[in-house]
Amino acid sequence: MRSYLALSSQWTALFVLLSALCCLFTPAVTVKHENFKTCDQSGFCKRNRAYADTAAGASGWSAPYQIAPESLSWDNGQLQGTILKTINKNGETVRLPITISFLESGSARVTVDEEKRQKGEIDLRHNSIARKERYNEVESWAIVGGLELSKTATESRDTTKTTITYGPEGKFEAVITFAPFGVEFKRDAATQIKFNDRGLLNMEHWRPKIDKAEPEKKEGEEAPAADEESTWWDESFGGATDSKPRGPESVALDITFPGYEHVFGIPEHAGPMSLKETRGGSGNYEDPYRLYNSDVFEYITDSPMTLYGNIPFMQAHRKDSTVGVFWLNAAETWIDIVKQKEAHNPLSLGIGSKTDTKTHWISESGLLDVFVFLGPTPKDVTKAYGELTGYTQLPQSFSIAYHQCRWNYNTDEDVKDVDRKMSKHQIPYDVIWLDIEYTDDKQYFTWDPLQFPDPIGMLNHLDKSERKLVAIIDPHIKNKDGYPIVEDLKKKDLAVHNKDGNIYEGWCWPGSSHWVDCFNPAAIKWWVGLFKYDAFKGSLSNLFVWNDMNEPSVFNGPETTMPKDNLHYENWEHRDVHNLNGMTFHNATYQALLERKKGEIRRPFVLTRAFYSGSQRLGAMWTGDNQASWEHLAIGFPMILNNGIAGYPFAGADVGGFFGNPEKDLLTRWYQAGAFYPFFRGHAHIDTRRREPYLAGEPYTEIMTRALRLRYALLPAWYTAFHEASVDGTPIIRPQYFVYPGDEDGFAIDDQFFVGGTGLLAKPVVTEGAESVDIYLADDEIYYDYFDYEKYSGRGLKTIPAPLEKIPLLMQGGHIIPRKDRPRRSSGLMKWDPYTLVIVLGNDGTATGELYVDDGETFDYQSGAYIHRTFEYKDGVLASTNIGTKGKLTDKYLKAMKSVTVERVVVVGAPKGWEGKKTVKVGSGEANLEFHGEEGNKAAWAVVKKPQISIGEDWKIEF
Amino acid sequence: MRRIEALVLLSTLSASVLASASPRPRGVGPEFAKFYKSPDSFTCISQPSIKLSASQVNDDYCDCPDGSDEPGTAACTFLSPLSPPQPLGGQNATPALPGFYCKNKGHIPGYIQQTLVNDGVCDYQVCCDGSDEWSGVGGIKCEDRCKEIGKEWRRIDEIRQKSAMNALKRKEELLKKAADLRVGVQNSIVNLEGEIKIADARAQELKQVYEETERRERGKVVSSKGKGSKVTILAGLAKQRVEELRDALVRAISKRDALKEKVKELEGILATFKEEYNPNFNDEGVKRTVKAWEDYAANRKATEDESTEERDVEEVAKPDTETEGINWAEWETEGEESDVEALYKFEAYLPAPVRNWIQAKRVLIREILIENGILANNGNSATESKAVTNARSAYQNVENDVAVKQTSLNDLKTDLDKDYGPNDIFRALKGTCISKDSGEYEYELCWMDSTSQKSKKGAGNTGMGNFVRFDTMDVDEEVGVDGKGLGQGKRMVMMYENGQHCWNGPNRQTTVVLGCAEHDEIWKIVEQEKCMYRMDVGTPAVCEKETRAKQGSGEGKAKEKDEL
Repeated sequence: MRSYLALSSQWTALFVLLSALCCLFTPAVTVKHENFKTCDQSGFCKRNRAYADTAAGASGWSAPYQIAPESLSWDNGQLQGTILKTINKNGETVRLPITISFLESGSARVTVDEEKRQKGEIDLRHNSIARKERYNEVESWAIVGGLELSKTATESRDTTKTTITYGPEGKFEAVITFAPFGVEFKRDAATQIKFNDRGLLNMEHWRPKIDKAEPEKKEGEEAPAADEESTWWDESFGGATDSKPRGPESVALDITFPGYEHVFGIPEHAGPMSLKETRGGSGNYEDPYRLYNSDVFEYITDSPMTLYGNIPFMQAHRKDSTVGVFWLNAAETWIDIVKQKEAHNPLSLGIGSKTDTKTHWISESGLLDVFVFLGPTPKDVTKAYGELTGYTQLPQSFSIAYHQCRWNYNTDEDVKDVDRKMSKHQIPYDVIWLDIEYTDDKQYFTWDPLQFPDPIGMLNHLDKSERKLVAIIDPHIKNKDGYPIVEDLKKKDLAVHNKDGNIYEGWCWPGSSHWVDCFNPAAIKWWVGLFKYDAFKGSLSNLFVWNDMNEPSVFNGPETTMPKDNLHYENWEHRDVHNLNGMTFHNATYQALLERKKGEIRRPFVLTRAFYSGSQRLGAMWTGDNQASWEHLAIGFPMILNNGIAGYPFAGADVGGFFGNPEKDLLTRWYQAGAFYPFFRGHAHIDTRRREPYLAGEPYTEIMTRALRLRYALLPAWYTAFHEASVDGTPIIRPQYFVYPGDEDGFAIDDQFFVGGTGLLAKPVVTEGAESVDIYLADDEIYYDYFDYEKYSGRGLKTIPAPLEKIPLLMQGGHIIPRKDRPRRSSGLMKWDPYTLVIVLGNDGTATGELYVDDGETFDYQSGAYIHRTFEYKDGVLASTNIGTKGKLTDKYLKAMKSVTVERVVVVGAPKGWEGKKTVKVGSGEANLEFHGEEGNKAAWAVVKKPQISIGEDWKIEF
Repeated sequence: MRRIEALVLLSTLSASVLASASPRPRGVGPEFAKFYKSPDSFTCISQPSIKLSASQVNDDYCDCPDGSDEPGTAACTFLSPLSPPQPLGGQNATPALPGFYCKNKGHIPGYIQQTLVNDGVCDYQVCCDGSDEWSGVGGIKCEDRCKEIGKEWRRIDEIRQKSAMNALKRKEELLKKAADLRVGVQNSIVNLEGEIKIADARAQELKQVYEETERRERGKVVSSKGKGSKVTILAGLAKQRVEELRDALVRAISKRDALKEKVKELEGILATFKEEYNPNFNDEGVKRTVKAWEDYAANRKATEDESTEERDVEEVAKPDTETEGINWAEWETEGEESDVEALYKFEAYLPAPVRNWIQAKRVLIREILIENGILANNGNSATESKAVTNARSAYQNVENDVAVKQTSLNDLKTDLDKDYGPNDIFRALKGTCISKDSGEYEYELCWMDSTSQKSKKGAGNTGMGNFVRFDTMDVDEEVGVDGKGLGQGKRMVMMYENGQHCWNGPNRQTTVVLGCAEHDEIWKIVEQEKCMYRMDVGTPAVCEKETRAKQGSGEGKAKEKDEL
């Protein structure tokens, strides 16, 4: 027993040592701010912020946009018309066609275009060959369904406004005001979302550049001062000049959530889940949240800076109500957030006061295209969003197990050596990864002939224990004579072009490179061909792919990416599609892995770094190049939770931290946290020391192994959660507000979460030296410590012990958790093992749970080859009921799975009355029951031994 | 269903089962058979208080907290300190059995990790009879391959045995060679010591001759010099000295200027480097360099002002004339009455004790100065006579000879004391090298000397470390069928450190881990971390009779226990 004092001094010493070490190994670790734009350095962001300031400052500000009522037409759930934008004092206007669609799903969509650009009646500067229209194809990449128009929506119009009633049971309403243009979205007659409430709608119409001598000849309301106009045309940053052939063309809109204090989503940012205000003030950010996929080197935590991926989808939440907006635009985007308290009674400050969250969305180009979701539950909103953009891919089952990665495993022998050592130490893992060094001179689809002379031998070796290999393949193709792939790419003209229409050349890992343009269907087809087993020599069916650097990362480009005036397929400017770029590449690889050999169709597994709305259909993402620090360990969960809310739950952070060397306690805690990442991968930079879990020594290796085995034991529960996400978009790890939308104390909590619908509530330790954590309980249900059945109950914070070897993990009463307790080398080898069902009795003595199982690799589940069951314990009877839908492969699958049984049923919180009970009835037979009484504050439990029941069949156990 | 399959399997194996004296449950090794004898009950091995019915043995449900009721299944595998703790048991469980016993008829029996039982993979490495997959999950069938595996094993084992014998023979040879070399060294020492003794005596004689000659000659010098003024002599000496120093200064300045140019050039390179480097290449070394350069640049600005100093140096470097510097002519022609003389006279005014004290101190100081080479010894200022030169060189020659011999002697003594490993064995290997072709590089190990790598892509030899010491290390490695590999346990290690500096990290170093082999051979090289290499090397020098014998006999139990 060490005294607290001794301990703390020890920690202090450790901390000092750690900081000294940090100085040694990672000098000056911080992001290079000067490499990335602030709002002030991004012309359109600066202009729109200034516009907002003008609107807020001017008394009687009147937005210059109004609907021409005579232009309106209503047809079949869709309202069409024209917005007139007044552009000068003479009253000249610009025509902006608007379409407002009311969808069968209850979602609404507002789309505004610009007539002149739409018709191509504009001139481009610099003899540009770029497209003249506002980019209108985001939809074709991001949206996969849910666009059926409502058959029940009705319109009623008067002279100043029109009101559309829509949604389930006609509970939703959109009130469209004509002058100035504005929309109020109501649910149950209460306003939830307001468009253009602050008059910040701005669609920068096309204008010719006038090289004027006299500076006062300007357009009306925009009346730019000379310095404002300076950002209209060619714009320079960091030595690169953007030619901007179409001039200023931004779109912006203010969206207000009255009475909503919290907004979530719009990943990817290294900050808290509940988004902060962005217009300065204590604790707030100075810059808007930025969405512009970027390879941000050594990113920092607690920042609105852009990162590798983006999803322009936001949820707003208040007590018992969640609504959302989805800003369908793929250009660079900034979002300002302010929150305003409105005290109804100035004397009762705080009490009864409500907060409005006001957001301001600003994109550089493209359409104004916004979807509105009116909830009212978080689940409704994520579901509606998923109907449009698709749900998470039902992944290969191996891919939700543990991944062992490093930049780099140096040789095929090295890979086999790590594999053997993991087996020898009885540490389960499913996938080993290869970073860029496996290639021959950074040429993808090749192997370094000296370091990886026998990739097939290596893959076969891994396959013996059902293990897989993931190899990195990036979008930059080395520009080198004699590399057939780049020669083919050039010959077929499938690469991204520069502004002059020539093949674009930039620098990345291989040095001089070209970028495959996956917006081009021909390029996708070509890319798919490269992955066939006979094309990619040295690949087998247990090789999967990692897409990195697809923001795209270009080392010598502006903000480490491509020039915005680069041209993609059909001459769309990179500016218009930048945020989509990563997804198109991810998509091409996904397509490629579907069928690498004729007739062998498998679920692809592709990890991506860059992403957009819809990427969830294609595979996993990770949070990029984090650092081996406690701050980065802590920021992982808020980031993953936010990704999950935004429809992309298959997310994880590099366990151990990419840059730097983690101390052993940090590494151990990171494994305990990683065991709860939907995507669970250990990864490390090339300059770090090796850190495979078996290297740490005791007690660390043992503790990490336990965390890994916990993940593996719970894989049936995780897979069930993934299945749920794949059918309705419910996040895999769920924040407090999502599960308890009425509990205001939990809204901002982003360091604890529930695992799927299992009732498992986890709060992994993310701080140094913790001996306990305070976990928040939102209800009066009973909770049990997962590991020793210690009981906790009552709303509020509970302190639970968390020394290094312990993960704070509770089971909420009322749930049934499926597990597989037998440790194996990989998840594939657990396939035939029997289940353990843990019945966690709630206060009312009941419990329910769910299990989904399929073969984990093919699409046979679409033909019914799966097991989907609910378990219910009530009135002393545990019953398993089928909730699947029979398909043509159902019987065959069930037959194959017949030998998979339930080996035991553990009942936590077993009733006292069972003491002395020796058997339970199982169908017509019986099984032994063993009862263990309460010990101190540890709950009573009982175990049904070997009930001899099959997991895929109906059965009943009577206690 | 499983039980039926088990029965079928049992019946096919009936011959062997029935033949053995007491049929053991599946997975039980002969040394545990005694616990499973009772036909109708079973007692958990380490918790005899728990009694089960015999049917509970191998029923694929774990009843014993030590797992002993499931020797033939994976049902108790969750009872492990590596698994998450749960009230059902786990963390504190110590399995009573070493694993699943594979009979491996026709080969050597062995224990396999219970987690590998019925997982759908035939683990022939340990279980050549395929009995680990008895339940045939997912339709897997593991045929008995013991016959072929056993045959192959025996063939290789024979080679291995032979090789092991040879290795030990080789080791004996090495030991003998080492001993011979040691004797050689010892002999050399004895010889040298004798020679040194003789030479020392000779040196003493010559030294006396030399000193005698010198004394005689010095007397001459002093007398011939007459009554020259001390100040003029001093002036002459000082001038000479000053000129020497000035020359040295001028040379130093020009050297410095050249270096300054070089520094400027380097600073230019670094400044450009800082401007042009790409932070996205994620290169820690580059980042460190840039940071170090920034710090350096900041410091440099702070200490820039050197111009006044520079002017002073220029002044000093100019030759002395009548108007600048020291007018030597004045001093060289000074009369008898010098300041020094005056100073001496000044003493006369002092009281006697003080005067004596001063004189004593003066002499002392002068002696110290002369001894430390600060003041020139007057006596040497004149040219030396030939007699003295000859005497001195004769003496010095012998003295040098002694010094050389002494050095050799010391070297030999050091060598004799140096750690050449147990029984001096690596003395026999010193000076020999072995190499291995591995991927991109060819690696070389020179015993007791250095390690290096040579890239096939052109770049030259890179030093990976120089031998510094012996050490030991616990290893846990595979041993190939050919017997190559470190195996498990403590192994001797040779540390090679301070190799070529790594661009991104430390000086390269190599940990050479030694295993027994017939021939000196590098088995494998891994770069575990940047520039930290490990070489697994086989050599007869570390062979031991016991280890070979153990590995060779293939006593499955001992071997497999290690793995569990």
